[in-house]
Amino acid sequence: MTADMTLVHAATTAASQPSTLLWLIPFLPLFGFLINGLSGKKLRNTKVVDFIALGSVGAAFLLTLYHFIQLVGLPADGRSIHQSLWTWFDVGGARVLGGLSTYKIEWAYKFDALSGAMALLVTGAGFLIHLFSTGYMAEERNDGRYYRFMAYLNLFVFSMLNLVLGANIMMMFLGWEGVGLCSYLLIGFYFDKEYAAIAGKKAFVTNRIGDFGFMIGFFLIFMVFGSLDYDTLMGSVREISSLKSITLFGITHTPTWWFNLIGCCLFVGAAGKSAQIPLYVWLPDAMAGPTPVSALIHAATMVTSGLYMITRLNFIYVQAPVALAVVLFVGALTAFVAASMGLAQYDIKKVLAYSTVSQLGFMFMGLGAGAFTAGMFHVFTHAAFKACLFLGSGSVIMACHHEQDMRNMGGLRKHMPWTFLSMGLATLAIAGIFPFSGFFSKDEILWKVFEGWYHHGAYDGPALNLVAWILGMLGAFMTAFYMTRLMIMTFYGDYRGAGHDPYHLTVPSEAHHAADDHGHGHDDHGQHGHVAPVAHGHSDHGHGPTEVPWNMWLPVFIFAVFAVVLGFLNLPQSLEWLGKVSGIGNDHFSKWLEPLLYQVTAPEHGHHAAPIIEYALMGWATLIWAPGAILLAVWIYGMDPSWSKARAFVTRFPKVFEWVNAKYYVDEFYEWAIIEPLKRFSAQLWSFDTWVVDGMVNGAARVTLLWAELMHWVDEYLVDGAVDLTEYIVQETSGVFRGLQSGRVQHYAFVMFLGFLVFAVVKFFV
Amino acid sequence: MVSLNSVLLISFLLFSIGIIGVLIRRNALVILMCVELMLNAANLNFIAFARHSGSVSGQAFALLVMGFAAAEVAVGLALVVALYRKRDTVQVDDINLLKG
Repeated sequence: MTADMTLVHAATTAASQPSTLLWLIPFLPLFGFLINGLSGKKLRNTKVVDFIALGSVGAAFLLTLYHFIQLVGLPADGRSIHQSLWTWFDVGGARVLGGLSTYKIEWAYKFDALSGAMALLVTGAGFLIHLFSTGYMAEERNDGRYYRFMAYLNLFVFSMLNLVLGANIMMMFLGWEGVGLCSYLLIGFYFDKEYAAIAGKKAFVTNRIGDFGFMIGFFLIFMVFGSLDYDTLMGSVREISSLKSITLFGITHTPTWWFNLIGCCLFVGAAGKSAQIPLYVWLPDAMAGPTPVSALIHAATMVTSGLYMITRLNFIYVQAPVALAVVLFVGALTAFVAASMGLAQYDIKKVLAYSTVSQLGFMFMGLGAGAFTAGMFHVFTHAAFKACLFLGSGSVIMACHHEQDMRNMGGLRKHMPWTFLSMGLATLAIAGIFPFSGFFSKDEILWKVFEGWYHHGAYDGPALNLVAWILGMLGAFMTAFYMTRLMIMTFYGDYRGAGHDPYHLTVPSEAHHAADDHGHGHDDHGQHGHVAPVAHGHSDHGHGPTEVPWNMWLPVFIFAVFAVVLGFLNLPQSLEWLGKVSGIGNDHFSKWLEPLLYQVTAPEHGHHAAPIIEYALMGWATLIWAPGAILLAVWIYGMDPSWSKARAFVTRFPKVFEWVNAKYYVDEFYEWAIIEPLKRFSAQLWSFDTWVVDGMVNGAARVTLLWAELMHWVDEYLVDGAVDLTEYIVQETSGVFRGLQSGRVQHYAFVMFLGFLVFAVVKFFV
Repeated sequence: MVSLNSVLLISFLLFSIGIIGVLIRRNALVILMCVELMLNAANLNFIAFARHSGSVSGQAFALLVMGFAAAEVAVGLALVVALYRKRDTVQVDDINLLKG
C-alpha cells in the first residue's frame, strides 16, 4: 500500500482453513462440460455422456459434502475454507477513495457457512436434476442434441459454483454472467423453434439491464472500499461507515447515502437475475426451455443468486435503509402481483413460473425486512419444493405427450402415484401448511416483516412494513389457491385427454413447448395444431398416461422429502417447545449464518418471550388462511368437475379475467413504452447510418471512381499514345534499314569487298 | 627468269577470278573453289616476294596457308554437306535466313 493510503483494511481472514481440493468443486463440472462439449458429438453411445455429466456433478457434490462436514467441525466464527488458485488480474494503481489501490483480484474460492450451503444446494439439486434429465431428454438421445444439453447443464453448474464459491465480487460476477449465458443457451435449446429463440433473447437482454446495475454497484464498492474481497470489505465497513462524508466524482455525501446508492444499483442486478418487478418478464417466457432447465436454473439455483448476493453483501445493506426499503417494497409487490398472475394461467409451467417469481418476492421481502436468514432459508426450502413441482410437472407433461395445458389433463392421480404423492407434498409445503418446510420459512419472513411494524408492541414501525405484510399475506393466500387449483386440474377428476371430455373443458392443444419436433409442423406460437393427444409419431401414444421411469420419479420424490423435512432446520424461537419435543433444537440455520451477518450494534443474545401476536399470526396463517385458500380452490375446481363457478366468474367479470390472464398486459406495456420507441429510435439511427454515414462512404467511393475514370482516360490516350507513337516511328524508320538486310552472304561479302577497295584506293591515292 | 611483275600480274588475275567467283557464283561448292583460288593467289605472292627478297620466311608462310586451306576445305565441305542434308540445296540464293 502506498504511503498516502488513509484507509487501512482490516485483515479479517484470520481464521480461515486452507484447502487444496476446493477448486475441484467448480472445475469438475467444467471438465465434464469440456469433455462432453468437445467429444459428445462423436460419441455413439449417450450412456458415456450420462456417465461424464452425472459423474462430474456427483463427484462435485461429494466433495462439497466433504468440505461441508469439515466446516461443521470448525468453531462458529472460523467456519471458512479458502483456496487461492492464481492472481486473476492486478488493478494496482487505480485511484480509489483511500488513495492508490494496490489490489490484486485473486482467482480464489471461499467455502463458508453461506457459500457452503449454497454449493450443497447447487451440486445436490444439480445432480438430481441431471438424473431426471437422463429420462426427460430421452428423445434427444437419438438426434444428436443430447450431449449438448448435458454439456450446457454442466457449464451451468460450473458457473453457479463460481458465483457462490468465489471469494470476491469479480468471481461472483464471472459466475453471474456465466449462469446468464447458460440460461440463454438452455432456454433457446430448441432454437429451431422461433418462440424458444425469442424467449432466450428476451431473458438475455433483460438480464443485461440488471447486470448493468450490478456492475455500477460493484464499481462503486471498489471506489469506496478499494477492494472486492468479501473479507476485506466486511472488515473495513465499520471504519468507512464512521467517516463524516465520502467524496467521489466531486460529489460529497454521507456514507449512508453512498451505501443506499450502491444497494439500489446492486438490487437492479438482483431484480434482473432473480426476476423481480420490473425485470421479471423474462422468467415466464423462459419456460420455453426443457423442464429440467426450468427446475434447475429458473427455480432452484440461478434465480436465487440475487438473494445470495444481497445476503453476501448484507454489511452494506444493513447500513442502507433506503435500499432495504426498496428491496422490501419491490419484493412484496412482486410476491403479490406474480401470485395473482398465477391464478388465471392454464399452462402448468406458467403457473409454476409465476409462482417462482412470487416466491422470490417473498425472499426479497425477508431480506428487505433485514431478516437475511429468513430470506435465505426460504431460498433453500423453495429450492426443494419448487424443484419438486417443476420436475413433477415435467413428468406430467411427458406422460401427457408434451401437453402443457392443464385443461387437457386431469385424473393423473391414478396413473402417476409417485408423481402425485411428491407434488402433493410439495404443494402443502409451498402453501405453508404446518409442519411442512414452507410454513417455517414463509411465516418466518412474514413475521419478520410484521415485526418491523409491530416494534415490540408499539405498532409504530414503518408503515411500509405493514403494507408489505398485507401484500405478502394476500400473496400467500393466492399461492395456496393456485397450487391447489393446479393439483386438482392435473391430478383429480378424469383424464380429459384421448377424446374423453364430458364438460367440454379441453382446448386445442398447442403441444409445442417441450421436446416436440416429431413431425407436427408447429412452427408458430399462436398456431393451434390439433386436439391433443391425437395420433403422434410415437408408438406409446394413443393410450393413457403412465408413470414415468424411476430415474424421473425418484429425484422428484427426493425433493419432496426435502420439502417436507427441511423446515426443521430452522424452527423459530417461538416454537421452542417443538424443538425440544422433537429433539432437533431451534434456529440451526440462523445460528449457522450468524457469523456472516454484519451487526451494526452488538447482537442481543438475551431470551425474549415470543409475543402472543406471533402465535396468533402463525395459527391464523396455517390453520385458517392457507387451508381456507385450499378449500376455496377445492370448492371451485374440485367439487364441481365442470368448473361452472369459475366459468360463472369469468362471465360475470370478463375484464378481470382478461387482465389477469393477460398478465396485466405488462409485456404489451413494455413493448409499447420501451421496445417500440427503442425500435423507432434504432430505425432513426439506421436511416442516419444509411443516408449520412453510408452516403459519405458512397460519396467518397463515387469521387474515387470519377478520378479513376479520368486517370484511365489519361493513361489510355496520353501515356499509351506516347508509347504507341515511339513504336510507330521506330517501325516506320526501320523499314529502310530492313531492306539492306537481304540475308544473302554474297551481298555482304560484296559490300566488304567494296569497302576494302575504297580503303585501298584511299590508301594509295590520297 | 620470270620477272616479279609478271608473277604479280598472274597472281592478281588469279585473285580477281577468285573474288569474282565468290561474289557472283551461286553454288556453294564453286564458291569454296574460288576461295581456294584467292588463297593460292596470295600464296603465289608470298613465294614471288620470298624469291625476290631472298628470304625463306615467305615460303614458310605459303606452306602454312596451304595447311590452313586444307583445314578450311575440310570444314567448308562438311558445312556444305550438312547444308545439303538440311535444306536439300547448295544454292546460296536459297539460304537467306539473315534477311531483315
